[in-house]
Amino acid sequence: MRQQYAVRTLLLVAGLVVVGLAVIVQMIRIQNSEQAKIFLSQGDMYSGEFRMFYPERGEIYDRNGHLLAGNRTVYEVGVSLSQMTDPQALAYILGTYLGLTYEEVYNQLTNSPKSWEYIVIQDYVGDETVSALQQLVQQMKDVDDDSLSGLGFKPHFQRSYPEDALASNVLGFVTRDGRGYFGIEEKYNDLLAGNPVQVWVPTDPNKASEIPKVPNGTTLVLTINRDLQAKVENILDQSLTNYGAENGAIIVMDPNNGEIFAMATTPRLDLNNYTDYFSLYDNGSQYNRSIGMAYEAGSVVKILTMAAALDTGTVTPSTTFIDTGSIEVGGITIHNWDRQPWGQQDMIGCLQHSLNVCLAWIATQMGTQTFYGYMERFGLGHPTGIDLSGEAMGRLKVPGDTDWYNVDLGTNAFGQGVTVTPLQLLMSASAIANDGKMVTPHVLYSMLRDGHQYNVPSQYAGSPIKAETARTLNEMLAISLEGESSSALVPGYRVAGKTGTAQIPTEYGYNESQTNASFIGWGPVDDPRFLIYVWIQKPTTSIWSSETAAPVFSQVAEQTVILLNIPPDMVRNQFGTR
Amino acid sequence: MQAQATQIIHAYKQAPWRVQRQYVGAFLLAVIGTSMIAALYLQVTAGAARAGREIQEMRVQITAIQRANADLETQLANLTSTTEMERRALEMGYRPVKPGELDYVAVPGFVAPEPAILLAAEDVVQYSHPLPFEYTQSLIEWFDDRVKAGDY
Repeated sequence: MRQQYAVRTLLLVAGLVVVGLAVIVQMIRIQNSEQAKIFLSQGDMYSGEFRMFYPERGEIYDRNGHLLAGNRTVYEVGVSLSQMTDPQALAYILGTYLGLTYEEVYNQLTNSPKSWEYIVIQDYVGDETVSALQQLVQQMKDVDDDSLSGLGFKPHFQRSYPEDALASNVLGFVTRDGRGYFGIEEKYNDLLAGNPVQVWVPTDPNKASEIPKVPNGTTLVLTINRDLQAKVENILDQSLTNYGAENGAIIVMDPNNGEIFAMATTPRLDLNNYTDYFSLYDNGSQYNRSIGMAYEAGSVVKILTMAAALDTGTVTPSTTFIDTGSIEVGGITIHNWDRQPWGQQDMIGCLQHSLNVCLAWIATQMGTQTFYGYMERFGLGHPTGIDLSGEAMGRLKVPGDTDWYNVDLGTNAFGQGVTVTPLQLLMSASAIANDGKMVTPHVLYSMLRDGHQYNVPSQYAGSPIKAETARTLNEMLAISLEGESSSALVPGYRVAGKTGTAQIPTEYGYNESQTNASFIGWGPVDDPRFLIYVWIQKPTTSIWSSETAAPVFSQVAEQTVILLNIPPDMVRNQFGTR
Repeated sequence: MQAQATQIIHAYKQAPWRVQRQYVGAFLLAVIGTSMIAALYLQVTAGAARAGREIQEMRVQITAIQRANADLETQLANLTSTTEMERRALEMGYRPVKPGELDYVAVPGFVAPEPAILLAAEDVVQYSHPLPFEYTQSLIEWFDDRVKAGDY
């Protein structure tokens, strides 16, 4: 009997062993099959997620540490559909708080594809609205009401400009996709944006992965002086109103190193509402007229012609010229601005009375090659290389160009037929104000990264004229302003400068009723600390720059000396201070 | 002779209850050893999990603080913007200075400050130190690594 049971037991055990072995074999086979690999890889997909970590965009400060562009937290408001219990309540609350209609939100919540887990109701929602919503959610939770369950808020950064439209033409703006447009934001977009890092984040807490520290974007410090920028913008706006002008631009620069203190243009965009861009501008070149719009600046170019003539020894300050009111160059007769003869003049008189005939004569005395050689060295027809995006380079026709004629030598000498941007002329004039050394204008003062400050060195753009020539012309321009009791003069400070009134070219020739009024000037003459360019486009109360741009220069210079702490000449000479 | 040999074997053979006790003892030893290893493994993995969670929470806190910091900076900039400062100055009875109203005083040896270091340096960068393996590795992974390294 025992023997019989023993056999049965053995058979049962053998059967169970066989079944067990079969199960194990099958397990091993499945584990190592092709399908298992697919399942494993699918499983891995849910073991974590690739997450992109975006660095905070670098901030932008003015030269005195005032924030011009920063970041603020905004929220993406969304609903987790699997956790949603009451779409009606959510639609009502979100519609009320986010300014949406009930139907709009309800349709989004109930008609979304079934595969969707999460739905975004609105992005870039401000802190106040989200705080109110969070408070409401908490209140409902406190009374065990889960009507708003599933509602979520994801914070992220949005660019913020505390000064609104101030220096908007210099700063540019950042769109919601994080890309910078115009100005600093575009030029230094890669530096400001930093490098996003993609990381695999496992959901298993045992595999707590190291989330790398994503360094913030580089913070930039500009050469702009915020307070001076605000003053200059106010003066420009007021001037456009006073003179009935269309638009304008003013730049204030340090002639010693090319640092831009202020750069104001119109119209200006409120950077916190950058979508207004399309209603303000017809094209990108209008965004910053100081660098983007080349125009015929007229007589301000005469200072470059005179600089070239003095440098080559073609004339000296005392060289006399008998002005008969007209001169023929290349078969075309050139007249003075008033079509009158001014008789015997020295070179200071030619500048003081802005005589086209005299300057055309000087250019013919220099000769084509010399004149255009100097204009090239002054940088006309080339971009200045300023660190702002959207710079135009103007046009300087030179002999050999199909549209260059012999008369161009005479007209170009007094600024007709040559287009420049205000910044180009400012850079050219820096050679006169800075002992012959021309500086490259720039707006970046330094970069802050990883706790270190990297200052941007000044760059010279050549020496188109000798130091002696620069000093001579400096003196001539100061005397010419003083001689005519110009409205550009600044009480207490000796300044040098030149007006420019240019008729505006049209398809049918020059429009005599519309002008571009410009003024370029600097001071103090013995130690120039500021270089100012004023452009008033189409003034209507007076077409003359001596009555429009020149007094604006004076106002800007008065504010500049106050805000840059430049003592009057008498005080400086008395104490020997800068 | 054979009987003598059987006697010797019987004399040295352990009693059956002794053998059983040895088996039970060995089994219990194995159970205790396994339990100890399991407990140790649990402790290590639980510690790693707790540390992982803490790190994640700290990371969230850091992000929140950075956001709050950026918000406060922007808020401060709004409160000290040119328009706001001008409005407050006018309210307090100040007015813009005119060039002729300024008095300059020469101070021997004084050099006007240049904007050399404009801002407080940013926080010294927190270089990203990778988590030590002790915080992320299970006991088995650690042992596996040691074996592969030829330590055992």
